Amino acid sequence: MRSPAAAFAWEFRHGHLWGLVGYVVVVGTVKLLIVGPGQPIKLDPPDGIAAAVVAPFSTVFMYLLAVFSFGLRGDLAARQSIYPARLFTLPVTTTALAGWPMLYGTAAMVGLWLVTMLLVQWPWGIGIPLLWPGLLAAVFLAWTQALMWTPYGLPGLRVIITVLWLAALDAVVIAAIHYEASDAMMVAFLAPQAPLAYLAARFAVARARRGEVPDWRDMFARLRHIARLLPRRRHPFFSPARAQLWLEWQQHGRSLPVWVAMVVPVELLVLFVPGNDTPAVIFLVLVCALLTPPFMARFAAAAISRSNPSVRDSYGVSPFLATRPLTTASLIAAKLKMMMWSTLAAWVVVLAAIAIALSMLGAWPLVIARAGEAVDAIGAGRVIVLGLLVFTGLLTATWKQLVQSLCIGLTGREWLIKGSVVLTLSFLVVIGPVIEWIRDNGDVQVALWDTWIWIPALLVAAKMSAAAWVATRLWRSRLLSDRALVTGAACWLVVVLALYGLLVWLVDTPLIPRHLLALIAILAIPLARLSAAPLALAWNRHR
Amino acid sequence: MSESVIAVSDLTRRFGATTALDSVSLSLPRGAVYGLVGANGAGKTTLIKHLLGLLRAEGGSVRVFGLDPVADPVGVLSRIGYLSEENDLPGWMRVDELIRYSRAFHPAWDDDYAEELRQTFALDAAAKIKHLSKGQKARAGLLVALAYRPELLVLDEPSSGLDPIVRRDILGAVIRTIADEGRTVLFSSHLLEEVEQVADHVTMIHKGTIALSAPLKALKAWHRGASLDEIFVAHVGSSAASATDA
Repeated sequence: MRSPAAAFAWEFRHGHLWGLVGYVVVVGTVKLLIVGPGQPIKLDPPDGIAAAVVAPFSTVFMYLLAVFSFGLRGDLAARQSIYPARLFTLPVTTTALAGWPMLYGTAAMVGLWLVTMLLVQWPWGIGIPLLWPGLLAAVFLAWTQALMWTPYGLPGLRVIITVLWLAALDAVVIAAIHYEASDAMMVAFLAPQAPLAYLAARFAVARARRGEVPDWRDMFARLRHIARLLPRRRHPFFSPARAQLWLEWQQHGRSLPVWVAMVVPVELLVLFVPGNDTPAVIFLVLVCALLTPPFMARFAAAAISRSNPSVRDSYGVSPFLATRPLTTASLIAAKLKMMMWSTLAAWVVVLAAIAIALSMLGAWPLVIARAGEAVDAIGAGRVIVLGLLVFTGLLTATWKQLVQSLCIGLTGREWLIKGSVVLTLSFLVVIGPVIEWIRDNGDVQVALWDTWIWIPALLVAAKMSAAAWVATRLWRSRLLSDRALVTGAACWLVVVLALYGLLVWLVDTPLIPRHLLALIAILAIPLARLSAAPLALAWNRHR
Repeated sequence: MSESVIAVSDLTRRFGATTALDSVSLSLPRGAVYGLVGANGAGKTTLIKHLLGLLRAEGGSVRVFGLDPVADPVGVLSRIGYLSEENDLPGWMRVDELIRYSRAFHPAWDDDYAEELRQTFALDAAAKIKHLSKGQKARAGLLVALAYRPELLVLDEPSSGLDPIVRRDILGAVIRTIADEGRTVLFSSHLLEEVEQVADHVTMIHKGTIALSAPLKALKAWHRGASLDEIFVAHVGSSAASATDA
């Protein structure tokens, strides 16, 4: 390395460059081959284009935020700064330690905005602001860096302060857009924040470098003293499986309920804004609140399936866990049970929050009246079953989001995990334009209408083929006993048949053929990816 | 000779172009202290990971208590006490939680012995693992590896986490006690004088191959009372010997 600047550049480029290059290649290919000039897909500006661009932009934005704040490896909940301590001993000034990551981060964010703007402006020629969105992205990152690198007096305070500060910044910008503030005013608001954030970051790194970490825990000394007096659980676990379940719950089980408890009340607060107590808004907000657990579960799953967050090789199984005298199937069973309890806890939070919000708003009569209308229309039995089915579906969807990435995450293979992320993002990039294309193309709609039944049929064929392959591997590897394999398959079949029966009873119309209901039931119940989890963990545990 | 606790035959392992273990064969009978010595990167940890089933044998075979540790992890791991070089105990656990959690896996767990070890090691039951010093973490790991009196104790570079007093007074005493009870200890180290103090049998590993494996007394006799350092230099060269000091 010729200079500290080059060393810092290498630090950020290393391990991230090829992923980003691959991603840009995917987006560029989509742009040139599918949505470029003269290509079949015409996106309607501005909504269609925004839908196509928002996924890649948001993903890269969040990724850069994590990379340049050192958030990918730091302990966000710790009191200590998450700025890597190994860099403190470098023979460079604190100004350089704080400055180079901020400078490279700013450059990356501005670059991201310029590339996004280019994608949007060409070939559609839509006029969008040149400067302030890029500046906003850079300021957002700069404040994130400053707040992340600051040492705090209490564990967890970093997350709370960062979320509140960035939300406040966001709220001001949204209000400015709402009141149609000029571009110059936006720049005037955002530009001074970059140097302020830099000064805050430099101060934070200087304190961290000197080892200054405030300790406000004495404020809670009395509480800790009381907690020590309370009887602690000292009875032994009934079995190794219970002990493992306890470990999994302590490590990951509370993530989803806590995240849901942070997000859902904020969503429900919208109902208390004057003018938002109309039936339409109430039901829209309730739907959003009900969809929150499955949505948040996707993010919680990333943390859970990452098998070893606390050691050097974060994708591998830690020797401590790998040397538990438990079968790989038992280790997976503990994870699945923990996820079930986590799902239930998250839903208790959601239902309690909704019940409290509706009571405070006095909106229960409205909900009851709507339920009464539904009973009049389709009958009490169907309404109850439909309600139970929807609720069970949401519960299952939450659990499914948690478990289905296990088969990738537990493999511990970095190339597979990162590859699956790139594939998912590529799908998100492509799906918007493809839907737009189908919507605008009558011939495609006719062709789809004639053959659409083959889509779920092909999906079922793929799912069952994968399940058969997984079952064969499980049987050969002896990871599951013959009895467990047969019992699992039988349980899956019973649940599918039960769901099929319910759907047939519920959707009593000749418009929807019964074989379609059977295909839906087969696709709805997890099988292949769930069954592959023991194989994935065994591949990781015994390398 | 009694039944082998560990039987490794023609074990070969490669990581890309690097051959970490090359046709290693080893047989360790029950009831002795085995020192596995070698320079950093010689293959000690790779061999131990095969014994624990953390690595799958690419070539050859590994048997511990006559069982394949990959095919039967419960059968093997329930009889082994293991202290990892990485010392990766969950930081969020308190010491008493670690004890409570670990005892669930071992029906032979001895509560009195665990408490005696906790007091000997001066570990606060309410302290979180992440707040312990490196040496205290190693003691906590040693506690949960010992408290069920395993048939085989595997220590991977245990000295790297312990101060000299702990090394001399506790580790040595613990290892000898286990051996005196007829159980087996395998410990890897690059501190040759430490191995010389407690080992009955020494296996030298160099560049993925077994350079020498013999009872310590016999080794000394063959080399006319030379120290293990000198014996090591004689068999693997001075460059490797200096690497053990690193």
